[in-house]
Amino acid sequence: MFLHNLKYNIKILFKNKVLIFWTYAFPIILGVFFNMAFSNIEKDEMLQVFDIAIVDNEEYQNQEIYKKTFEELSNDHSDEKLFNIKYTTKEDAANLLEAGEIEGYIFFENNQENIIIKENGINQTILKYISSEIEQNTKIIKDLTEKELTIGNSNDINDIIKQITNKINNEKVNLINISNSNLSYTQIEYYTLIAMACMYGGMLGLSAINNSLANMSNKGKRISVSPNKKGTIILSSLLASYFVSLVGLAILMLFLVFVIKADFGSNFPLVILLSMLGSLAGISLGVMIASTFKVSEGAKTGIIIAISMFLSVLSGMTGVELKYVIDKNIPVINLINPNNLITDGFYSLYYYGTYTRYLRDLSFLSIFIFICLIISIVSLRRQQYDSI
Amino acid sequence: MEKVIEIKNLTKKYNNKKAIDDISFDVYKGEILGLLGPNGSGKSTTINCLLSLLKYQSGDIKIFGKEMKPDSYDIKKEIGVIFQDVAVFNELNVYDNINYFCGLYISNKEQRKKYVDDALKLVGLKDFTKYYPKELSGGLLRRLNIACGIAHKPKLIFLDEPTVAVDPQSRNNILDGIKKLRDNGATIIYTTHYMEEVEILCDRIIILDKGKIIAEGTSEELKKQANIKVKVEHVGPTLNDVFLKLTGKELRD
Repeated sequence: MFLHNLKYNIKILFKNKVLIFWTYAFPIILGVFFNMAFSNIEKDEMLQVFDIAIVDNEEYQNQEIYKKTFEELSNDHSDEKLFNIKYTTKEDAANLLEAGEIEGYIFFENNQENIIIKENGINQTILKYISSEIEQNTKIIKDLTEKELTIGNSNDINDIIKQITNKINNEKVNLINISNSNLSYTQIEYYTLIAMACMYGGMLGLSAINNSLANMSNKGKRISVSPNKKGTIILSSLLASYFVSLVGLAILMLFLVFVIKADFGSNFPLVILLSMLGSLAGISLGVMIASTFKVSEGAKTGIIIAISMFLSVLSGMTGVELKYVIDKNIPVINLINPNNLITDGFYSLYYYGTYTRYLRDLSFLSIFIFICLIISIVSLRRQQYDSI
Repeated sequence: MEKVIEIKNLTKKYNNKKAIDDISFDVYKGEILGLLGPNGSGKSTTINCLLSLLKYQSGDIKIFGKEMKPDSYDIKKEIGVIFQDVAVFNELNVYDNINYFCGLYISNKEQRKKYVDDALKLVGLKDFTKYYPKELSGGLLRRLNIACGIAHKPKLIFLDEPTVAVDPQSRNNILDGIKKLRDNGATIIYTTHYMEEVEILCDRIIILDKGKIIAEGTSEELKKQANIKVKVEHVGPTLNDVFLKLTGKELRD
């Protein structure tokens, strides 16, 4: 009977056009809109070339690697161009900065690199990042090749410069991320979308419960008088809704990866684990709402949509700033918000090298699921009703 | 006669108001018992208590000689229920709906296929197996509702107003189907507001009002008990007979 109920519940859910729209089509439609809205913003940010000044003194002339790297990054004929550079005196550079004609300037004094900026922003962060990259790489390579490297050996220097510019270009996405307070705008939008789709899976759980219980629907009444354990019916129905939710999530992720070109990092097994747990969180929320709210199925569906949207907004769907503000000021909200935990989990896999934050998100998501299921079990445990 | 259902002193309250007030009755094997009463008299509540869906304050219910409890699965597998409201899945076609509900009782696929075919034949839905509930007329939908409740060939069937809002042709077909079920050995509890149906179908009648049994017996016994002086004796055909003669007994879509 378990398999019979499972099979038919999968069929019923797949043929429910309203549920399939909300759980399958709506997140994809939203993804297309996000892509249209945000991809141009990010592209603009990626390609922006900005003005800086370099104090062209004697010390700078001795910084062969810096010189060549900045020449490469300001070459009009290069795809890697990031800067328009004015070579000037220290006083003129200060005046240009004051006048707002440059974003910052670099000068060398006592063999020490100095970056002067007037305010913090995307361009200033990029300038600082690139300078520090050049400095670090120069040090490493100098240490390694101290004996062989001679200033003026153009082959060695060109190799070093190529390495640095390649690294900078490969890191362009991260540069933008850094400039956005460690949050990648577009990526987070896609992650919130997946989180929302997970929570919308709650509608599938709700439908499964609604169809199975005597106090919720006529079909539930009919099923309840059959010679089957309530637990078997509910478990097989929920497994069906979980399966349908996972299929929807898989379609969404394939769409994001192959059509939208969203980046989930390189650890795909952990991405799948988080998706599966996220989907389970959505189903658990749906079951909890189905079993505790004494309203119609339509009203319950409305509650799930409203909760999902609200949690999505808090987790950064309508602007990552809100997520960032909550993270800074009331972090506990983000720890109990399943949408944020899913979003943050994906982001930590994509951005951070370590798994501490990912595991924290996974743990809190598991606690959320556990609480929802305990509340649901308490509500669903009774076999008979006072009224139906 | 063998008792299929034994109810003793059943009382059910909703917020201290008695919906069923200390009722006792038996149902015998192979009979069709008509459970009548105005709206709110306690018919559906009685059925829901019998099926162990509702909690009740006091009383004993035995079905097939055993106490009926929510986990009495051996009893439940012999029961079929057709509720007042249509309870089918709009996402499944006629065949799948019957097959799904039958599958909750019958796990053997071959046996189930035969049972589903029998049910389709009984309610006259053989030509509609691929139709979805939304594509069916009210009468066909009611017949599907019945098929879903009886496909597993239960020994005890509860029919709660199965002919509401159906045309006379469909009703005629449904009533014929119920007679066939009884002829095949099923015991039936039948609730309706249509007295002519009761007269045609029921071997015995219980009339409920305000949660109490106010009368019990065969149609003839009840008429005698009521002792109503008939002013005009109706000897001709009923309007239902006229309608069926004019429009035919052939089932409509």
